[in-house]
Amino acid sequence: MSVALVSGQSSQPAEQSKPTSTHQARPQSPPPGTATQRALIDQYCVACHNARLKTAGLLLDELDLAHLGNHAEIGEKVVRKLRAGLMPPAGMRRPDAATLESLIGWMEHELNRSAVTYLPPPGLHRLNRTEYANAIRDLLALEVDAAKFLPPDDSTRGFDNIAGALTMSPALMEAYLSAAGKISRLAIGDAAAPTQAVFDVPSDTAQNYYIEGLPFGTRGGMLIKYQFPVDGEYTFRVKGVTGYFTAVLGQIAGEQLEVTVDGERVKLFDWDREIKNTTGNGRATQRVPVKAGLHTVGVTFLATNDVPGTELNKPFQRTMNTPGEISGFLFYPHVGQVTIEGPFNPEGVSDTASRRKIFVCRPGGRREEGRAATTLNEATCARRIVSTLAKHAFRRPATRADRELLMEFYRTGRTEGGSFDDGIQAALQRVLADPQFLYRGEPEPAGVAAGKVYRVSDLALASRLSFFLWSSIPDDELIDLAAQGKLADPVVLEQQVRRMLKDPHSDALVTNFTGQWLSVRSLRTSEPVVNLFPDFDDNLRNAFQREMELFFGSILQEDRSVLDLLTADYTFVNERLAKHYGIPNVYGPRFRRVTLTPELDVRRGLLGKGALLTVTSQAARTSPVIRGKWFLQTFLGVSPPDPPPNVPAIKEKPADATGNLKAPTMRQILEEHHTNPACATCHRTFEPMGFALENFDAVGAWRTQDEGQPIDATGTLADGTKLDGVASLRDLLVRYQGQFVRVITEKLLTYALGRGLEYQDMPLVRSIVGDAATTKYRFSSIVAGIVRSQAFQMNMKTREGNQLRVAR
Amino acid sequence: MFLTKKHMSRRTVLRGAGAALALPLLEAMVPAATALAQTAANPRSRFVGLFVPHGMAPGYWVPDKVGTGFEFPYCFKPLEAYRDHVTILSGLHSRSAEPPPGATGADHWVAAAFLCANKPKKTNRADVYAGTTIDQTIAQKIGQDTLLPSLQLAVEDPGANSSNCGEGYSCTYTNTISWSSPTQPLPMELNPQVVFERMFGDGSTGKERAARRMRNRSILDSLNESLSRLRRDSGPSDRARLDQYAEDVREIERRLQIAMKASTVAPADLSVPVGVPQSFDEHIKLQFDLLALAFQADITRVGTLLFARDLTGRTYPESEAPTVGFHGGSHHGEDPKRIAELAKINQYHVKMLAHLVARLDKTADGDGTLLDHSLVLYGSNMGNPNQHLHYDVPHVLVGGASGKLTGGRHLAYPTRAVPTGNLLLSVMETFDIHQDSIGDSTGRLEDL
Repeated sequence: MSVALVSGQSSQPAEQSKPTSTHQARPQSPPPGTATQRALIDQYCVACHNARLKTAGLLLDELDLAHLGNHAEIGEKVVRKLRAGLMPPAGMRRPDAATLESLIGWMEHELNRSAVTYLPPPGLHRLNRTEYANAIRDLLALEVDAAKFLPPDDSTRGFDNIAGALTMSPALMEAYLSAAGKISRLAIGDAAAPTQAVFDVPSDTAQNYYIEGLPFGTRGGMLIKYQFPVDGEYTFRVKGVTGYFTAVLGQIAGEQLEVTVDGERVKLFDWDREIKNTTGNGRATQRVPVKAGLHTVGVTFLATNDVPGTELNKPFQRTMNTPGEISGFLFYPHVGQVTIEGPFNPEGVSDTASRRKIFVCRPGGRREEGRAATTLNEATCARRIVSTLAKHAFRRPATRADRELLMEFYRTGRTEGGSFDDGIQAALQRVLADPQFLYRGEPEPAGVAAGKVYRVSDLALASRLSFFLWSSIPDDELIDLAAQGKLADPVVLEQQVRRMLKDPHSDALVTNFTGQWLSVRSLRTSEPVVNLFPDFDDNLRNAFQREMELFFGSILQEDRSVLDLLTADYTFVNERLAKHYGIPNVYGPRFRRVTLTPELDVRRGLLGKGALLTVTSQAARTSPVIRGKWFLQTFLGVSPPDPPPNVPAIKEKPADATGNLKAPTMRQILEEHHTNPACATCHRTFEPMGFALENFDAVGAWRTQDEGQPIDATGTLADGTKLDGVASLRDLLVRYQGQFVRVITEKLLTYALGRGLEYQDMPLVRSIVGDAATTKYRFSSIVAGIVRSQAFQMNMKTREGNQLRVAR
Repeated sequence: MFLTKKHMSRRTVLRGAGAALALPLLEAMVPAATALAQTAANPRSRFVGLFVPHGMAPGYWVPDKVGTGFEFPYCFKPLEAYRDHVTILSGLHSRSAEPPPGATGADHWVAAAFLCANKPKKTNRADVYAGTTIDQTIAQKIGQDTLLPSLQLAVEDPGANSSNCGEGYSCTYTNTISWSSPTQPLPMELNPQVVFERMFGDGSTGKERAARRMRNRSILDSLNESLSRLRRDSGPSDRARLDQYAEDVREIERRLQIAMKASTVAPADLSVPVGVPQSFDEHIKLQFDLLALAFQADITRVGTLLFARDLTGRTYPESEAPTVGFHGGSHHGEDPKRIAELAKINQYHVKMLAHLVARLDKTADGDGTLLDHSLVLYGSNMGNPNQHLHYDVPHVLVGGASGKLTGGRHLAYPTRAVPTGNLLLSVMETFDIHQDSIGDSTGRLEDL
């Protein structure tokens, strides 16, 4: 559609500033000329945003509305602020909602139709640590803790899977090299030298609860899933939680500690005699024979000693206070650390899941039970094995060059080590060290001219899909479809998206996306001050996280509208979380769905979730500033400007007339943010939202008083909305649902593309949202919209001279 | 060739990790560009920094005379055989370890200040701030063409406390005494097996280790093929990144070469330690043996070891006070009997130091022994620990420092006048590192 230039705008009558329809609608075609919009902008915006005052560097008096496309960056900035309801600011005249909507709609329409093609290739994209671990799991059926091999990744734009931030360094390369050796040996089953694997229990875990997976009638301890490298004997050493002075804590006597392997007891410790007096060095079991592979090790107390405490005070949910003890409280002993040592007397390797995955055939001479003896010779079988490995690891059919290279390593390994398995191990090691495994490269076709767009290859598309929806390598079905050139077919693509969302692998999308978009990952480093929140323990922390995963997961699995994230009248709790929320009659560690009755209305949707309320607080108190800012960024997609430098720390209020130091409420503490105009201009755009959440304390518990005074959760926003408590904030979001959906789409798109979005991407975001509106914003529609988009399926060929020199 | 420093500057703060990752240590010690050959102008000096908390029993460690010819006091007796290499310092003031005025107990969270003389910032979050410790400054100078620029060792598990330790201070300040920058603590490795693997590669026999190195070598060689395949189909900016990748490969090849050279020195009969030994005695001796071996094989020239963490209640069954917990014993209440018990523990610790010294003394190095060419600094940040006094703190220097240090002396400084920063400044001098100041130093140490 060509740009229609209408001249003689000044002759248009000014009465056209009144819109003809009052319901919100995008104009089907732009009204002739731009006089309406110019008049609106002159009336409501130009008082500040003019060439003289240059407020925020935005000169709207000079903005050429007839060629808005040429000023898309400014246009998008304006639209974003308007869509978040932040402009015009409080205190300035505002058009009515319908008029405002019409103006925004017009601008968006203009920007959409003059959008330029913007398809920068994300570039070489290194697997991040999570993706690496998932790839190993899917490639080799091996669970590894990638943190033992690799350092954490850098993140940018809110996500750790952004291609530009995932750099390489010699140290990292050495890590990959070392990991390739260790993982390949572990997968094949190496008669390894004995090692130690150490597992710590977080120090703030309450251990008077039953842990799911351990035998009934036990409490506390830990459940470990460990990959035993070879058949052999192993010991399990248990240390108690130690505090100051490295003495083992816990005064209650008579405890018995059980160690189990796959549910079978291998040792029963008398805690007092065997572990308590070990000043923190712990005690090991006898050597226990275990076969290679993944097994569960349980270390837990028998809950036979459950006596009510004799202390006078109410016991807290948290049962251990490190580094010391709390006087007046008796604690049960806690398991602090478990060390698995071994193998001793290794006996080689029997069958494990990873061996079964790797050895898709066996060289001739070995009869398999129930199957005809295979008569492949070694080299043929090896070729088959390395082909399969290469296909899955490199995410494309194996080529002859792959086979030749890997067979060379196979032969060397076979000769050096002396067995077929050693040869395969060498080839596997080579695969894991290959940049084609570690990097997702998207081949640029040679015949395309610079500046022209091209479709990414089907195989590249398969990887984009699987890393988006599964954070892992594509499976056979995807690779095969891609290799046959069928994947780009829209019908096939949609089928695959549907299949992949249903697949359990899509849990990774839930965990990684919510972990980062909603900052749930920050829970791990949230440490509320013990003396103020003695009920906060690691069990609650885990429960918070699990609730978020199950809640968001329900939106994905039940293909609900993403708006349900705001208003859903259900959530998922276990006993610990239910206690925290005040939901009655929930017992046991298992998570279950509960309906939120009207009394629990405050817990509906994301705004009532303990995880989010905790990560947006400080260790000792709530922070309406952080919460307000987080609200703006996470749900409305805008950020307030940075504070000026040298903002002083919060001053303590002086004593009152009677000499008592009256602790101020949060609102009193932040008074200056409202009264000082230099602060208020920015703070009043978001702080009221934070105050609306003040009924939730720093660990997300409901409260009605702050420092003995009733909480005042009221506030007024720039658009005139009056807030009073979380329900009103939720209503606000529902009113701004369009923006909410746009923001979540932006985030998902960033996550899917592996690059940050720029203003040029906004028309795409709007079009995805517009299409999803027809299904009332079901999650799968948004995902499908992303996958269907040009940005997901095409790149633009870069010009030779334009690329940046790699920073050294 | 230059290494990208991007990762280092954006690394988040490492918390003391105990028996955990091998990688962050390597990350933080990436050697900068350097020539492979060492110019033989100076003999290669080594540095060891050793910290013990809880001071020393008053009356049991200060020699009777100043200067030479003193009788070795009780606590330092195990070093008597090395008199000519020993300098005892008394009267120093550990100002950087003193708590802020009015605060008590905060002085147990300041091990971080031992080698940088800078009072750590009071915080229990991620924004820790101490100072660059001298072992790292020295490693920057002399450790760049060894396999490992420095080695950090521990013999006590930091435990599950990783942040909130006490009085608002992060546990990081007691978990490590080596900081590569004021905001970058280096984890101290508890597990001798991990140390061994870092030095010699993993594998249970020498043959296996060599084989694994060879395997890595051939993998690196063959990577070029994969890189060119990727490069062929890539756009210009990707090609630039792949070129960088290829350079990184070459850098690792270079380091692998150094490693292979170093690993040839590992004695054939040295068996790989398995995990952390049960007893302190065994554990610390093993760590010291590994450190001495690392010096001998020129795998590293700088090492630090944390004898014990502040507040530890650890007992030392092999000492002459087998049932006395260290921290409890340090609060002797001025009771002479209990002071004597504490002295026994102090002496036991020095005995462990003597184990290292003996190793160094027995190992030939160039025209002398390793001990001739080393400087071992052993000390505490408390004097009389009963009241947490930080003046008149014990320090001893052992080794010849390649001729820069004269031994056999007791140097006594006027009390509360000379901060330990001055000692650190002078120690750096012996490595030809000339700084104006460090932490709270007021000048160089006289007479050293």
